[in-house]
Amino acid sequence: MRSIAIVLGALALASAAAGATRLDPGVSSNEVKIGGTVPLSGVAAAYASVGRGADAYFKYWNETHGGVKGRKIDYEYLDDQYDPSKTVDQTRRLIQEDHVFAVFNSLGTEQNLAVRALLNGAKVPQIFVASGGLTFGRDYKQYPYTIGFLPSYVAEGTIYGKYLRAQKKKATIAVLYQDDDYGKEMLRGLEKGLAGRGRIVAKQSYDPTASDVNSQVAALKSSKANTFLIAATPKYAIQAYIQVKKLGWKPQIVVNQVASASNVMKIVQSSVGSLANDSVSIGFVKDPTDPRFKKDKVVALYRTVLRKYQPSADPSDVYNVYAMAVAYEFVNALAHAGNPPTRDGLMRAVTHMNDKKNPFLYPGVVVHTTPQSRFPITQAQLIRWRAGHWNAFGRLVSAR
Amino acid sequence: MRAWAARGGMLAAGVVLFFLLPHVVSDFRLFELARVGQYFIAMLGLYVLTTYTGQVSIGHGAFMAIGGYTTGVLVYHRHWEDWRTLPVAALVAGVAGLLFGLPALRLRGLYLALATFAMAVSVPAIIKKWESLTGGSTGLLFATFHTNRWYYDVTWAAAGVLVVLAWIVLASPVGRTWRALRDSEVAAASFGIWVPLYKTLAFGISAAYAGLAGGILVILSLGANPNSFPIQLSIYLLVGVAIGAFASIPGILVGAAFVEYVQVYAPKWVSDSPGIPTFAFGAALVLAAFAATAVSALTIRWQTGLKRGPAKETS
Repeated sequence: MRSIAIVLGALALASAAAGATRLDPGVSSNEVKIGGTVPLSGVAAAYASVGRGADAYFKYWNETHGGVKGRKIDYEYLDDQYDPSKTVDQTRRLIQEDHVFAVFNSLGTEQNLAVRALLNGAKVPQIFVASGGLTFGRDYKQYPYTIGFLPSYVAEGTIYGKYLRAQKKKATIAVLYQDDDYGKEMLRGLEKGLAGRGRIVAKQSYDPTASDVNSQVAALKSSKANTFLIAATPKYAIQAYIQVKKLGWKPQIVVNQVASASNVMKIVQSSVGSLANDSVSIGFVKDPTDPRFKKDKVVALYRTVLRKYQPSADPSDVYNVYAMAVAYEFVNALAHAGNPPTRDGLMRAVTHMNDKKNPFLYPGVVVHTTPQSRFPITQAQLIRWRAGHWNAFGRLVSAR
Repeated sequence: MRAWAARGGMLAAGVVLFFLLPHVVSDFRLFELARVGQYFIAMLGLYVLTTYTGQVSIGHGAFMAIGGYTTGVLVYHRHWEDWRTLPVAALVAGVAGLLFGLPALRLRGLYLALATFAMAVSVPAIIKKWESLTGGSTGLLFATFHTNRWYYDVTWAAAGVLVVLAWIVLASPVGRTWRALRDSEVAAASFGIWVPLYKTLAFGISAAYAGLAGGILVILSLGANPNSFPIQLSIYLLVGVAIGAFASIPGILVGAAFVEYVQVYAPKWVSDSPGIPTFAFGAALVLAAFAATAVSALTIRWQTGLKRGPAKETS
């Protein structure tokens, strides 16, 4: 039985090798097929726009520019319901059945970890992972085909720590964080940024599938902290705000980037009113609801593209802008991946990026990588919620 | 002996199909078929429990989680070869099933279903809390993986063995006792059958099947993660068995294929809006409830016609 399997396996390998003399999988004379997983349903369905927005941008790019070097980008994003075992199945489908050139923009820390060994084993690029997990940028020696995109959660936590250290000498901080790598890395970053000054007086974790965070917020309130860091995903962040309001607590609120999209904050504001004011977060993509960008040409383009290619999408959902930023950078990388593009060429391109002009990012944010430094975005803008939208304040800060 | 001849025929057909399919379908389809096998094994256990003892469980996902994490822990912490953990996964889940079967003795029908449902909700949460062992929300990641053919071979070889085991158990005095229990507990007890023993035994065996399926799920998923055992899993298993009209092993096979492929193709072919697969499952369940009566009536007529006489159990 086993020997038959080995012989068959060898035959399959031999035939694959014979067929791959010219083009890498997913590449044809007029198309490059890529794919990825996003939660279109389930607990994290709010992130579906990370896939849909990128799809809209690729369609726009194909139509207006004919793709990259005459090859249209065909992006297939599949639902994994935020379940890592489904991520494994869907990613297998992408690389073994649909023969994609690269896996792009798949979302979630555990989800990407689940397929990282599989993709690196098959030498399929795992490009621009939509997670701030530190490991995706750090462990490139073991996983050379993997690279992230957004600042790591540790970096983001560090920014908040430094901000609180500088702003409030006597910050007493309560932290709500998700009980997984993402939440813990954010907490670690906060401690790093505080560097001993400012005290974390209470921390409470919640389960990523919990129904609410009310008891955690109540416990945090009893610590009498004057600052509250919400390191939670949108649903729980909204609940946290509402509970803070209910309990009559009035801390300075810092809300992490994954929950600070304007459309989320609008829900917060409609539930808690003025309590939302003066919340602090970071941003690195242009916020379509920020009045500064009211006349911005790129934001106008963004709206047009979204309306045309994803008509049911919500243009105030900043994840759509994130999606276009990452899709823009992919187009850029593909153009430098050789002609015809190869997987190794793509990896070379994404580890030699120096793009000062990604129009979807905050002005001044540079996309920069080297083979030894694989965090494409290492800058962010501190933002403050006032008058129903985010307002940038201060200079760009380092997020590494 | 007729029944055994039919089973032999079914098994032979299964073996032929098992060796034939890899030459017909693509490599990736073999992986999908392994997933079908994973559901098939879990549903086989559930089928034995519901059809032969009349106990309903909406909590078999929890037993899959227990078995899955047994595999996960042994591979991750103890560096076992993955497939060798499967018997242990079945054993641990089986013991959990026996333990759960004890309080379940006091419950029946809807109340038993609710108790199992509570278990399906709580087990993933407990797993996450036990972080040093289970890796919490991050889970346990495996470093090695196999070819799709390997996954297919292992899953369906296990499924074949488990089908034969189920037949043996059902044909044994234990199986006959279960049927007696299902039809009337009072009558069975009056024949001197110790009811609690046989009811808990059914739960234990059924849970062992689910546990082994959970072990396979984890092996196929390249690691154990609490998100892989959501409450929907338990419901899907029950829907799958219902689609098989609680009737037969080929019926379970259809149910298992339904559960796997609807999750994948409903979003692709119908709409990728959230909830389409769940809707499809609900609709299928309602249809199956209507169809079941008709199908089972037809099956009985066909079987009795075949036997040229009233149906009787063989031993």
